[in-house]
Amino acid sequence: MSGERTRTGRKRPRRRGRFLPYILLSPLILFIGALALYPTIVTTVQAFFTVDPLNPPTRFAGLANFRALLHNPFVRQSAANTLLYIVVGVGLSTLFGLGIALMLQRRSRWRGVIVALVVLPWALPAVIEAVIWGWIYDPTFGVLNSLLKSMGLINSYHVWIGIGRIVSIVLIELVQVWQITPLAALLILAALQSIPQELYEAARVDGAGRWEMFKRITLPLVRPGLAVAMVESLILSLNVFDQVYVLNGFAPGGASIMLQTYQISFNNLNFGQGYALSLLATFATMLLSLLILAVVYRRVEF
Amino acid sequence: MGGRSALRRVGRGVLIAVILVWSAFPIYWALNTSFTTLNGAQAVPAHFLPSPFTVHNYRTLLNQTSGGVGSQFWRSFLNAAIEAGLATVLTVAIALFAAYAFARLEFRGKRIILVAVLATLLLPVYATLIPLYRIMSSVHLVNTYLGIILVYTSGFLPLAIWIMYNYFASVPRELEEAAFVDGATPVMALWRVMIPVSMPGIAATSIIVFLIGWAQFIFPLVLSSDLATQPVTVVVAALYGQRIVPFTLLNAIGVLAAALPGIIALVLNRYIVQGVMAGSIK
Repeated sequence: MSGERTRTGRKRPRRRGRFLPYILLSPLILFIGALALYPTIVTTVQAFFTVDPLNPPTRFAGLANFRALLHNPFVRQSAANTLLYIVVGVGLSTLFGLGIALMLQRRSRWRGVIVALVVLPWALPAVIEAVIWGWIYDPTFGVLNSLLKSMGLINSYHVWIGIGRIVSIVLIELVQVWQITPLAALLILAALQSIPQELYEAARVDGAGRWEMFKRITLPLVRPGLAVAMVESLILSLNVFDQVYVLNGFAPGGASIMLQTYQISFNNLNFGQGYALSLLATFATMLLSLLILAVVYRRVEF
Repeated sequence: MGGRSALRRVGRGVLIAVILVWSAFPIYWALNTSFTTLNGAQAVPAHFLPSPFTVHNYRTLLNQTSGGVGSQFWRSFLNAAIEAGLATVLTVAIALFAAYAFARLEFRGKRIILVAVLATLLLPVYATLIPLYRIMSSVHLVNTYLGIILVYTSGFLPLAIWIMYNYFASVPRELEEAAFVDGATPVMALWRVMIPVSMPGIAATSIIVFLIGWAQFIFPLVLSSDLATQPVTVVVAALYGQRIVPFTLLNAIGVLAAALPGIIALVLNRYIVQGVMAGSIK
């Protein structure tokens, strides 16, 4: 105790102060420990157990859950579906996000209005959005059919969701893209705004054109922002559930891994397999995040 | 030269129009459908203004006959407000103290605790969904407000801490030094100095957390079994799935369920933008 006093060279007036940080943190530690870290450990461990209230007791199963999942054609199809959800989700939200961010970067009278409207879809519940879009996609009275027909792009009304697998997935994911693009746009905008203006001025003096400046300055320097936005979109599209549940129900043609996990766990009550699939999805999230970071992220110093 | 810049301005205008239509059209379409009759909504080709105009759908929802769509909707609306609201209060209260400790106090294990908390930000829903259901069911908190609020709070805390920690870290230390000279304890400095100057950050955190809480679906789907606790998202998904409620009424329900977060986003979007940007830097 006295050693500490001599080391810091001044008196510590409050003895209590040493415990204060832990007191301030205790509710947080309790919540995160009990309701985030502990459940994660349970998922990891019990993925290797048979956990089924209809078939007790809980017992060690080795890799049986994983083997059962790999041989389940619905699980394999949902994995393939999810891959398509991710490609569409990450691709479109990044592309649209970059476009909107470039638009917002310029000061203009309309900026406030544009920001307000652009952020709106992010703020609304995905379930409500899916219901609204479900009416737009409606096969008999939907405005999508009406618009496409009056523009002469289709001859007759289509059933959009539930027939063609790829069309269904792309249209369902479009609803999620609508919701998550604002987040991507804001994350990319933050990166754009950190690029020093002098770089553009110097390039302009050197006679660089707009496209050249975009390619040589903006694109390389916005990469950290792009990487964060893409990882964010990846996590959201890998977790896609609400839009699929509302628009496509449990039909295997559009089922995502999250939907499959829900079905295995809460409809079939096969918790062990649910844990195993959760664990695989968690690993997939980490691997794909690292992949995006490795390919897209570059440290930028100004 | 003048011709090219005029062309560019038109191009920009078109692009802005496309972005605005893309963002707003689905919402406009729900409003349009909610203010017309079933016949009006089923017109081919579609009517782009509500004709005939009616508020019948909203009047139906005001009818509180027990067991009817109206009473189901408002009960679930109340549930969502209670669950998202109380989870927001709890999250922000806990995050305030914790973020202050991380931003200002020195103590053993600080880095490890901070990293552990922020690592849970990266955990997908998968990692915790089933265990949380089983934990809540073993302590008999399934289908209770408390169970849902506890689960929400644990999920929202890492994000709240991240936004608030960044905000606190950007506040100059000199502001508190004056209070310390006057003999204030850290808790008093937090209360009298840090919280008042951090109001915009606290507002941003509260708004973002509330919006995320209002939008929750899979957790309450698993954790609540009836109208006692089901939030509006779960009830709307069920009504949609039954295919009995007419689309005009369903869109009116959608509009009302989206109204609260929608108005918050339109009026207070600068806080949302600030919060997202504050979290993204570094």
